[in-house]
Formats: sequence, structure tokens, C-alpha cells
Amino acid sequence: MGTRAQRGALAPGGVVGDGRYRLLAQFGIDERAGAHLWRARDGQLRRDVALTMLVGDPADPEAALLGRRTLERAAHAATFEHPGVARVLDVLSLGSGISSSEGLLGIIVAEWTKGTDLIDLVAERPVEPGAAVRMVRALAESVDQAHQSGLVLGIDHPQRLRLTPDGRLRLAFPGPLPDATLRDDVKALGSVLYLLLTGRWALPGGPPALPPAPKSPTGRIVPAKSLQPRVPPELSALSVRTIEDGDHGGIRTSAAILRALDHAAEAAERAKQAQAEPAEPDGSVWTTKKPSKDKARRRKLALGVTALVCAAVAVLAWLGMMAINFFQDDGDTSGPPVNLADPPAQQQGGGQDGDNGGQNGGNGNQQTQTGKPVQPSEITVYNPEGEGDSPADAPKATDGDPATVWRTDLYKQQLPALKRGVGLLATFDQPIDLSKVRVVADSPGTEVEIRTADSPDAPLDATQVVGQGKLDDVNTTISLDQPVDSTHVIVWVKTLSGQEPDFNSEFGEVKFLPSA
Amino acid sequence: MAAPERQAPPGPQGRPTPPPPPREPDATVYIPPRSARWPGIDPDVQGPYDELATQMMPRILDGPRHTEIGERIPAVGVDERAEPEAEPQPAAKKQSLAKATGRMAIATMTSRITGFLWKVLLAWVATLGVLYDSFTVANTMPLIINELLLGGVLTSVVVPLLVRSQDDPDGGESYTQRLITMAITILGIGTIVSTAAAPWLTSLLMDDSGAANPQLATWFAYLLLPGLLFYGLFAVLSAVLNAKQIFGPAQWAPVINNMVIIVTIIAFALVPGDPTIVPTSMTDPQVLVLGLGVLTAMTAQALFLVPALRRSGFRFKWNFGLDERLKEFGGLAAWILGYVVVSQIGMVINTRVLTAGAAGGASIYSNAWLLFQLPYGVIGVSLLTALMPKMSRAAADGDHRRLVGDLSYGSRLTTLMLLPVSAVMAVAGTSIGVALFALGKGSVEDAERLGQALAVSAFGLLPYALVMLQMRVFYAMKDSRTPTLIMVVMTAVKIPLLYLAQALLSPTHVVLGVMMVNSLVFVVGAVLGQVWLWVKLGNLRSKRVVGVILFTVVASVLGAAAAAAAGMLVPDFLGAIGGAWVTLILQGIVGMGVSFGVLMALKVDELAPVTRRVTRLLGRG
Repeated sequence: MGTRAQRGALAPGGVVGDGRYRLLAQFGIDERAGAHLWRARDGQLRRDVALTMLVGDPADPEAALLGRRTLERAAHAATFEHPGVARVLDVLSLGSGISSSEGLLGIIVAEWTKGTDLIDLVAERPVEPGAAVRMVRALAESVDQAHQSGLVLGIDHPQRLRLTPDGRLRLAFPGPLPDATLRDDVKALGSVLYLLLTGRWALPGGPPALPPAPKSPTGRIVPAKSLQPRVPPELSALSVRTIEDGDHGGIRTSAAILRALDHAAEAAERAKQAQAEPAEPDGSVWTTKKPSKDKARRRKLALGVTALVCAAVAVLAWLGMMAINFFQDDGDTSGPPVNLADPPAQQQGGGQDGDNGGQNGGNGNQQTQTGKPVQPSEITVYNPEGEGDSPADAPKATDGDPATVWRTDLYKQQLPALKRGVGLLATFDQPIDLSKVRVVADSPGTEVEIRTADSPDAPLDATQVVGQGKLDDVNTTISLDQPVDSTHVIVWVKTLSGQEPDFNSEFGEVKFLPSA
Repeated sequence: MAAPERQAPPGPQGRPTPPPPPREPDATVYIPPRSARWPGIDPDVQGPYDELATQMMPRILDGPRHTEIGERIPAVGVDERAEPEAEPQPAAKKQSLAKATGRMAIATMTSRITGFLWKVLLAWVATLGVLYDSFTVANTMPLIINELLLGGVLTSVVVPLLVRSQDDPDGGESYTQRLITMAITILGIGTIVSTAAAPWLTSLLMDDSGAANPQLATWFAYLLLPGLLFYGLFAVLSAVLNAKQIFGPAQWAPVINNMVIIVTIIAFALVPGDPTIVPTSMTDPQVLVLGLGVLTAMTAQALFLVPALRRSGFRFKWNFGLDERLKEFGGLAAWILGYVVVSQIGMVINTRVLTAGAAGGASIYSNAWLLFQLPYGVIGVSLLTALMPKMSRAAADGDHRRLVGDLSYGSRLTTLMLLPVSAVMAVAGTSIGVALFALGKGSVEDAERLGQALAVSAFGLLPYALVMLQMRVFYAMKDSRTPTLIMVVMTAVKIPLLYLAQALLSPTHVVLGVMMVNSLVFVVGAVLGQVWLWVKLGNLRSKRVVGVILFTVVASVLGAAAAAAAGMLVPDFLGAIGGAWVTLILQGIVGMGVSFGVLMALKVDELAPVTRRVTRLLGRG
């Protein structure tokens, strides 16, 4: 290209701008815009200036347009004054200060910033985090100011920045790219912080002198912390969040960065103070290692607590369940007056079963004392609508051993379907004044009726229902509404246990309790 | 030199695009919690990650959009300068927001009350037995599947993006179309597959060794699972309406749903045949009426939102394709999905253990849990609503001190409010159960079992509220990983304990054990949350919280003792239900009165405002 050939003109000692500025030393090239950054001497005012020279072919209309745009933006920035930005002194464009043969599109003249080059600063080793925060904070302030007045600074190139002797970063070579945005400035802030912390440049188009920031396989920038362990996590996160686009939790305004930086500085200050005191006696300087160690210790402790709590809760759960079992078996003694109908011994009031629907035998007549169980003289299967249902096993229900059971047949459908029910008929030599029947059976869901009959072969309709109950628990006591005198008592199963297609019920033991 | 930067300032005004409301870039915009859930939902599922829906907001208007950025550079400068001028606007907005919040509170209360009403009604009509169990299990299926398909993703990704998409050139229309298209597709497939797999789902959720009736549950599942489509759609559509700042319909739709269910239950009671008898075929009128009625309710709930959506100017068109922006959220969504999956596993085991026990387990558990949750729902949620925006903001600013302060304050207030309540609950549990559930065909025995389940688990109320608070803090710090890990530990503790309950307890008492295990697990969760927050945030000022807890425990124990003594005074001739009501009211008043009296006497700082008001009132009287 023609302009490349002209590059030779830009050498130390050469002059530009109608001979007014003598080039002293080159400080870098922003290759994205072809901007050559020079220190030069203003021959008329005898002072040093910073030149941002846009190299390009004036005959190329597109390049000329872009160059013009940069110049316009720089000119606009001339009204902006801030210690963090070198003042724009002059803007030279084609025809005013630059001839078309120079191979230049324009020159932005700014006051010279004393201090050090940013690249030199990080060349040997990264900057200590606290200092980095202070440096970037100064720059962020100027960016914030500029953004408030709608200006884009164009700090997105490390060679355009310099560190002043008082430790502030300053934009030394103004002249934003034609398409630079506010967002670019913000990202550049993050990138500068990243550079100070790690010595690597995270945005595209950085100078070849700086290694680019490494990226993870997913294309994200590796956090500064993993490159430099002593970087505090807040700072590491701050820089990455600022650089990355569109990520959730991204920081997008300079104001937000300023705030975050303040917090980081505060935190660092506090950490320093906290560390300084105990560290002083043995004279060791504070290190950033300690907090992370503290955190690791905390994490270990937390894991220990986790295990301990889990174990404690397991024990508590076991105890609690034992307590539930204990209370429920022994009768519910805990406060509330409404009680389980099941264990009736301690209950005083009997008048509560009005709406009970007889679900579990009711609580009626609980004052009635019962005597010892009476053994029936004979026990048979009562099956008026059929036969079967293991008549031979019937005595097993009264043999005193709950483990031996009498069992109904296996039914495919619930009871009223095939027949109305089936039961056990107990015959007593002497009429007993029956008040309760206790059933030991592992057939939850079984519903039984206690019926009395005049003869062993009375039809069902001739028997009287004197009590009923549901065998939800293994031990069920069915209280009769009134004690009944009878020699024939039927324990009538009207609903079987089980579910489709297998229904059957079994009785381990049936005991007949007379009223005393 | 006409600097193009100068032209832009009038940009926002001159542009035909809908003017984005100028607001502080960091203002946390309040999206009301999606309490507009289907009332049958098990609150176990209620994700604390719902909070994400609000805290995604601040970034939406924070900075210009990339596409336009080159064109209108100084627009942002204008925005930022406009900040002070915009001051009066938020004030006006706040007012209308307060009004809207008030109206929403009424809607929420109504939907909660009607939701509770239908559950109680069903208990009165059908008893807490096998039928109710089967219905409960079948009823949770669409909710579980919806949560797995949409739930976590919806709050963590879709809603925030939905709000952001409102700034699209087309006002978010095409994004919304894509979203609804995707939802219908996913839900449609989910509905078909899950309905086909209903028997399998039932066998997954139910243990057929107990009194439960998987056959009946499967019939109900066949009838209820098609509702998944509408239930999920309801969630999506209410999110869309919320993003358009239309809150009313989504809040009232659950009320419609509940009303339809109540009508269904009345019909169910009137249908010939005994509703307590276990039906023997799927075409039994009981099964059909209940199943189809609830399906209608779900459908009505979703369709209720359609007119409102049309009125907002939205027109639906099939629009297939994924939005690019969805990809940004990958990691976040994955952890939240993990949370959902783990909590659902816990729930499945829970249901299995319950159905392995005696009849009524599942229905008693679900109602007891509903009652257990009630105080938190009233006190805790309103506290969180007030506190969360502050905490989200503090977390976003990285201001850990303020965050810890708010967390500690929230924990202390929760303790003061909920511990006395749980003490009363523990004492009066049985009465509560009997008072509410022993009416109609409901048996006193089952109602007592429910009440006892409530009583043995009452101690878990505070830990439960604390867990919810802590998880929200984690999410506010954009940490979706720790809540999931805590949930994993909680579930890992819960499952063996559930099986222990099954092994140790008699079938009738399994439900008590399960409720107790749940409460204990929340104790684990609360301790873990506190410990891991300490790891992240440092000193949590836990000492002060523990101090308040101790004071409150003392006061609550005294309150509970007083309540128990008061319970002795209730005469017996009132009958079971009357007695229960009298006991409940008496114990409630005495227990709460004594607890708060003691707390005031102890001069607990957090109660100072209340104390002052009370003494002023007394002084005046």
C-alpha cells in the first residue's frame, strides 16, 4: 500500500504539522485505527506534546471518512477537562496542517503526560492489587465524567495510557476509534484492571508486546485469580464481569465499576488493617494468602457441622419415632381433651361420640369395667349364604395364640358382591353379659359387626347388630353400645381387607369381654 | 463540524419506539411472586428460586442495547443525567405499585382461602381415605411434571428474558410467540407421554404394599394428566402478562380454578352412590365427576388469561425457533433444574412411604402440610416481600454488611412471629385437625391423626421459614449452586429417615413420622444454610439471632404451657367438634397472648415498635 511506503517518514527527528512538531520517540501503534502514538516537541511553544497520528491513504475515501470521524470525536473531546485525560491541544486534518503527500489522515495533538509506559509497568511482574485498584479508579473517574457528558474516551488500547508519577492512569493519546462506544470504554476499564493484575491484555487488537489473555475452552476469559493466586476474588470477578459481554451479572456502566472498585478498595483496606495488627509482632508483612486460608478453614468447619447436624437429626428422628410409638401404644396422654378412641382406659367423658358415625366402635360406656375374657365353648364359621371359608381353622381364632389365624377365602371382589359377608360364631355355655370384643388381626381395612343370635343356625336377618368397628390396627377393641346378654355371638366380617383383585381377612385372636 | 454526538440527545424522545420508562438503572423492580400457582401444588415444590424473577430485572435497562449503540451514543449520557429528573416518576409509580400490591394481596388471600376450602370440603365429603389419597397422588402428577419441564427454567431464564424482551423493537412479540410455541410443544409432548405413562407414574409414586389403591390413582391420573398442558400454559401466560405489567388476571385465575373445583365437589357429593366407598371402575360417576371437574378447573384457569392477553394487544402465531439470548443462562438454569429434580425425588419417596402406610396417609399429609405452611404463607411471605428487594440490592452492590444486616433482621423477625405460632400449633394441633376436618363424613379419628401430624411437626415452622429466607439470599448473590447442594444434603437425610419411619412406625402413624421427618430435615437445612452463608459472608451476627431465638423459645414454652392449661378448662359436653373449636380459639388466644406478653416483658428489641403501640393504646384506654 502507498501509505505503508510513507511510513519511513515517521521516524525520530522527522517533522509533521507544517514543521511545527518534531518527532521524538514512538510509544506504540494502535493497529486497529492505524494510529501511531508519538512523543514530539512543539517547536513554537517549546513543550512536549503527545501525537496520535492517523496513518492512511488520503485517496481512499473510506479511510479518510473514518479518520475524519476520529478527528471529529477528538475535537469534541477538546472541551473536556479532567486530570485523568490529557488535554487535546489541537486537531490537524487534511488541508489544515497536513498535506496529502504525507500519508497521514490527521493528527491529534495532546499535552504530554509525564510518567511511565503501561507496558513497561507490567512487563516484569503484575501490579499489587491494592495499587491496581487505585490506578484504575482514577481512570474510571475520568471515564465516568466523560460518559456523563456523552463523550467516548477511547481508552481501549494499553499503549494510549500512561501512569503519572502520582500513581494515576491517564489517557495520554486521545483519539477514539470511529466506532468506539461507551461500552468499549467500560470494557477497556476491566481490561486494564486485568492487565495490571495479570500482565495480559484481554481485548482484541492489543499491542503485540503484550500476551493476550488466555481463554477457557468455552471461550470465556480465564479469571485473573487463576493466573495470579494473590488477586482477591472480588477484583478477579470484577475485571472478568466487566470485560465479558452479555453475561449475566455483567457490569456495563462506569458508575457501576466505580462503585465496585470502591468496595474492593475498602475490602482490601480492611483486610490490610485486620492483618496488620496480628502480623506486626513478628514483623511479617500482610499477605493475601491469609483470607483464602481462613475461607478454607471455614469450609472445613462447615463440612464438619454438616455431618454433625445430619447425625444429630438422624438420632432425633429415631427418638421422635420411638416417642410416637410409645405415646400411641400407651394411649395419648398429651394435653388435648379430644382423644384417640382406641385406648379408652383413661378417658373420662363419654359423651363425645355423637357424630362419630360409629367408625371405631365409639367411646360410649367407657366407664364400664370389663371382666376377664370368656372362652367360648365352641367356635365355628358362620356362613349362612354359602360354605367354606376354612371351617376347620375356626378354633385357631380362640386358641390363645395370635400367630395361628383363621382366614376367609380369597375373594375377587369386595364383599357385598358375592355374598353379604362371613363370620365366626362363638357359642357360650352360659349367657355372657358381653360388653367388648377384642380382635387381634393383621387385616387393615376389615370392617366387622358384632351380632347376637338366638340359635347357631339363625339366618343373618334374624341376628341383631350390637356393635361394629374397623380393624385398622392389629389390636382393636370393639365396644358394644349396650352390654348384651347372649349365648351366641357372631363376629361378622362385612368388609374385607385387601384390594382388587385379592380380598381376604384373617383373625389371629378374638376375645369376648363381659362387663364386670 | 457537526459532531454526530450532538444530534443524538433528543433520541429517546424523537424515536417512534415505545419509550422505555426512565428508571434508576439499579432499581430493583418488583415483580409480584408467582403465588398464582395452581392451588393443589405441594408447597415443597415452591421454589425459592422464584426470587430470580425479580432480581434479574435491574440489568435490563442498565446500559444501551448493543445493536443501537453506535447510533445513539450519548443517549446513555442523557439517561444518566436524567436520573435526578426521573425522581418524581418512581414516587408516582411506587404509589400505584402499592395500590396494585394491595389488590394483589386480596386476590392472593382469596385464592388461598378458596384453595384451602376445597381441600377441606373434599375431606368432609369423601373422608381422608383411600379415594382422597388416590386423588391427591394423581393430582400432584401434573404439578411434578410441569415443575420438571418448565418450573425452574421458567423463573430462572424465561421470565427475566421475557421482561428484557419488552424492549425489543417489536415489544417482545416475537419472543413471546416463540416462548408460547415452545411451551405448547413441550407441554403437549409431556402431556401425551405422561398420560400414556400414567400407570407407570402411579407405580412410581405409590407403594402398593399399603392401603393405597394404585388402580384408582391411575384412573384419576388418566383424567388429570391432560390438565398438564393447561396448567403449564397458565404459568407461562401469567409470566407473559406479568412482564406486560398486567397482574390482575393471573392473580384471580386460581380463584376461578378453585370455584370450579368447589362446584365439582358439590356435584361429587350429590352424585348417587356413597362417595366414601372405593369406586370399582373408571366410569364410576364419582371418579368421572371429580376427575373431569378438576380437569375443567385447570383448563378454565388457563383460558381465563386468554382474553386479558388479547386485550394487551398480543396476537399468537406459531413461531418455532430458539431465541439466541436463552443460551446466556445455561449454567444458572442447570443448577436450578438440579434443585427441582432433587426436591421432586424427595417428594416421590415421601409419597411412596405415605401410600405404603394406612389409608388416608397421602391426603392427611397434604392437608397437614397445607396447615403447617399457613403461618409462613401469611407472615413469612409478607416479610420476605418487604425484605427481598433490599437484600437483592445489597447483594448486587456487593454490600455484604447490609446484606448480613437484613438477613439477621429477617431471621429475628421471623423467629419472633413464628415460634409462638408453632408452640400453639404443637399444643392445639389435634383441635385444629378436628375443628376443620371432622365435619361432614369426615371421622374424628382421621381428623385427630391430621392434627397430631401437625402437632409433631410444628417445631419445623421456624427452620422452614429460615431455609426459605437463606435460599433467597443465596439466589440474590447469584449463587444457584449452594441451594441445590443444600437441597441434595436435605434429601439425602430425608430419604433414609422416611424409610426408617416406615419401618419403625405402625401404618397408621407413618404420616406422623413423615411430617416429623420433614420438619427435622428443615432443621438440617436451616443449620446448613446458616453455616454456608457464614462461609460466604463471614460473621452473620448469628449470636443476636440465637439470643432472640432463646428468648422466644422461653416465651413460647410458657405460652404453650398456658395454652395446655387453658385446654383443660374446656368442658366436655360440647361434643368433639364444638369442643375442638372452643379449645382451639381459647388455646390460640391464651398461647399467643402469654408468649407475646412474656416477650414484651423481656423487652426484646425487635418488638419495641409493637410494644410502644400497645402501651400507647392501653394508656389511651
